[in-house]
Amino acid sequence: MKFNKALCYWPALLALGGTLLAGTAQAQSGATECIAPAKPGGGYDLTCRLAANGLQETDLIDKPMMVSYMPGGIGAVAYNHVNGVRKDDPNLIVAASTGAAVNLALGKFGQYDADEVRWLGALGADYGAIVVKADAPWQNLEELMTDLQTDPGEIVFGAGGTVGSQDWMKAALTAKAADISPRDLRYVAFEGGGESLAALLGNHIQVFTGDLSELSSQLESGKVRVLAALSEERLEGPYADIPTAAEQGYDVQWPIWRGYYMGPEVSDEAYQAWVDKLKTLSEKEKFAELREARGLFPMARFGDDFDGYVKDQVAQFKQLAEEVGLTQ
Amino acid sequence: MFDFLIQGFGVALSPLNLGLAFLGALLGTLFGALPGIGPINGIAILMPLAYTLGLPAESALILLAGVYTGAEYGGRMSSILLNVPGDAGAVMTTLDGHPLAKKGLAGPALGLSAVSSFVGATIAILGLTLFAPLLAEVAVMFGPAEFFALMVFAFASMSVMMGKDPIKTAIGAVLGVMVAMVGVDSGTGVLRYTFGMAELYDGIDFVVMIIGLFAISEILLMLEHANRSDADEGMPPLGRVMVSVKELLFCKWAMLRSALIGFIVGVLPGTGASVAGAVAYTTEKRLSDKGNTFGTGDMRGLAAPEAANNAAAAGSFVPMLTLGIPGSGTTAVLLGALMLYNITPGPMMFTERPEVAGGLIASLYIGNIVLLALNLPLAGVFARVLTIPRWVLVPGIAILAFVGVYQLHSDLTAIYLMLIIGIVGYLLRKLGFSLAPVILGYVLGGLMEDNLRRALSISGGDLGILWQSGISLGLWIAAALLLTLPWLLPKLLSGKATDKA
Amino acid sequence: MKLAADRVLGIVLIGLAAFAAIFALKLQIPFSYEPVGPKAFPLGLAILLAALSLVLVLRPGPSGSWPNKTLSLKLLAVLVVLLIYALLFTRLGFLITTCFTVLALARLFDAPWLKALLAAVLMTAGSYLLFTQGLDIVLPWGYWMPELG
Repeated sequence: MKFNKALCYWPALLALGGTLLAGTAQAQSGATECIAPAKPGGGYDLTCRLAANGLQETDLIDKPMMVSYMPGGIGAVAYNHVNGVRKDDPNLIVAASTGAAVNLALGKFGQYDADEVRWLGALGADYGAIVVKADAPWQNLEELMTDLQTDPGEIVFGAGGTVGSQDWMKAALTAKAADISPRDLRYVAFEGGGESLAALLGNHIQVFTGDLSELSSQLESGKVRVLAALSEERLEGPYADIPTAAEQGYDVQWPIWRGYYMGPEVSDEAYQAWVDKLKTLSEKEKFAELREARGLFPMARFGDDFDGYVKDQVAQFKQLAEEVGLTQ
Repeated sequence: MFDFLIQGFGVALSPLNLGLAFLGALLGTLFGALPGIGPINGIAILMPLAYTLGLPAESALILLAGVYTGAEYGGRMSSILLNVPGDAGAVMTTLDGHPLAKKGLAGPALGLSAVSSFVGATIAILGLTLFAPLLAEVAVMFGPAEFFALMVFAFASMSVMMGKDPIKTAIGAVLGVMVAMVGVDSGTGVLRYTFGMAELYDGIDFVVMIIGLFAISEILLMLEHANRSDADEGMPPLGRVMVSVKELLFCKWAMLRSALIGFIVGVLPGTGASVAGAVAYTTEKRLSDKGNTFGTGDMRGLAAPEAANNAAAAGSFVPMLTLGIPGSGTTAVLLGALMLYNITPGPMMFTERPEVAGGLIASLYIGNIVLLALNLPLAGVFARVLTIPRWVLVPGIAILAFVGVYQLHSDLTAIYLMLIIGIVGYLLRKLGFSLAPVILGYVLGGLMEDNLRRALSISGGDLGILWQSGISLGLWIAAALLLTLPWLLPKLLSGKATDKA
Repeated sequence: MKLAADRVLGIVLIGLAAFAAIFALKLQIPFSYEPVGPKAFPLGLAILLAALSLVLVLRPGPSGSWPNKTLSLKLLAVLVVLLIYALLFTRLGFLITTCFTVLALARLFDAPWLKALLAAVLMTAGSYLLFTQGLDIVLPWGYWMPELG
């Protein structure tokens, strides 16, 4: 039989070749790479492309940066990959966001926690928003909060994430600010912001806790009203009319930073070189255009500053999760 | 009201998009003609590529829609010439198509099927243009409760079409829904069936699922076919190339009726081209098979399923574009393509992204004409595809499958998963399962669970919300009718028959 | 009871259903906003699957034709080739693994040596150019080759 020969011969050769070659040294390539820990097209892809296009167009790197995808668990797969396989790759950065910090706090990144990797910096941010339909009875946050206090079961919140996700956190924090336990909230988890927005417009939910950047076209057409932006300070441009929650007397902030980390065993020189690169990039005028085109607001935290910021945030989320009984 | 269409034609007639529609139609016909590579595989393979090419959303969609409709055209080739359906939608085409080819009428058969496909698709696209915007306006009223009722209806309509082995169809659908349970639960964030593997947190990826289920299992089945002596019949001669006007007129009612049936079946979520072909063929046989010629090479028996499966392909865009619900396995993949572009198909797409919705519909008109023009004169050339030897075809499929999955995941776990799913798919097919219920269960099951639970969290646990609105009530009644009709209809019909006698 | 393919399948599926049900019952839920929760669907599906499989065990259909020993070996060979392709895909890179995989698959599908070799070289080169140049896809280089690009 012909195939018998093929059967024995080629796999054997392949296996032999494999063992021989696997032993040879790994060559480090010169090209830089950004892993977007999601499918193409999502927020992580956008984060990677922001760095890739920015660095390229400002000539901070000479070869184009590759963007590869590694979806799974809002970054969990990539986090494990970097901590397990590519621990010391000086040319690899990975996109991360507030969503990753939330999952780190909830222990959803497996055996690793936030101290494992080297947090590099953030290049931009989005902010949470409390949104109602244009014909809703609430004109400002206080009216909503008052109604919520009298009967939390009557107002249905919705957003694009599960219990414990960063979308849910916005609703939970809002409830907490009104002295209501997040457990008493009525919350519906949709698949992404678009679905939640459709549900809001169809009167299936009353309040949508979304992100500002995904609301721009609805704001223009006047179909929705943003009761509060969950930013530290009032934003500019088309969002200048939206009051912050803090202005209205409720201490709720929800910045969604978009940043990067590197493997745990990357050398200090390589780490510092990247920090400098990103810092320089963030100061370029050209970069501001790129950032705005992606609907992101300015945010510049790098190196140790960013590292501390992320770790504080994770600790804060851990506490919140324990308070509401998400983790033991 | 039809502003979106005018804008759409503006988009679709740009040189790039016109070229893509042409390319999609051509590739689709080839994909459809290749046994085992149907529209789903074609789209699944091209989708990540279209995305990485940096095509804008509407262009990518135009390309993929071209592949879809093209594949429905191409599927008939191997059905007619080799008695091997090129894809699921073309199963019924073999029944009269192959006997025609054996009679030496392969050329006219190919020509007739091309015209039938054109008629079916044209009627359905007109229907899509008329009804999609209307449905889109109704669609904002679809909340979780209505979607849940719709899913119940979809499963019910699947059950009617179960075919000869209802138990296996049901098991297939249940297995599909069970696969959909893997991953982070979208309500509570609890991990289900992930076994501590972060790769499974997001569930089993659609591309991995279909490439494994269809492409890998097909490689194994091809090996079997290659080793069975009876399978390889020589290709019959193509005969005269053109179909005559007389033959076309003979089939005109079969085409029109089947196009209508195909469109309606296509609009129903959960049913697609294969079901449409089956329903149209059996209906036409019941209505017009006076001389018992169906199955022996009756032209109408060829025209009916071809018109229907193309009409269904266009019809299944209605629920996809307006409600964001796939009407067939293939539109489910197209839906995935839209998600890649962060476009949520649904009620707001016609107002917010008219260039995408309108461009797609306009490109269907254009693609359809391109396909007719391609298929009539080039039937003979396309038929050559069938002569590609398996030892080139199989490695080709393997490369496309591996690169397709690797490109999306940069991770070997996804590739192993694809291989495992491929083996399961092969075993299921050997055991007499159809894969369509598995894939539909996988798509619809997750939606069903999510929406039931969303509805109940809106109402705070009150079950009443599920049938409160007129839409959901109507859907529940329709579902109940679909489930009881198979028992009621024979009784009613036999009653009529005795009246006549 | 006669050993029919459907019967074996039915028993395997009942096992799967039992496993799925046990897993679902063990889920720990912190809290949930609705009465259904994440357990209900998996449990219901497990019960449904078990019931349907029971019908299969009791009333199996015809077993169909199964590959003989030579063919089974060949099928296994194809799977082994694909598995090795997967195992070495990132380690050795796209070019080498694809070349050997095409060669092995072509041989398994009865191509003569010369044609198989030709197919291996041409398809590897062709697909490589198509993916990297035409479609801008990042293919694994492998960990052993120096960077060429």
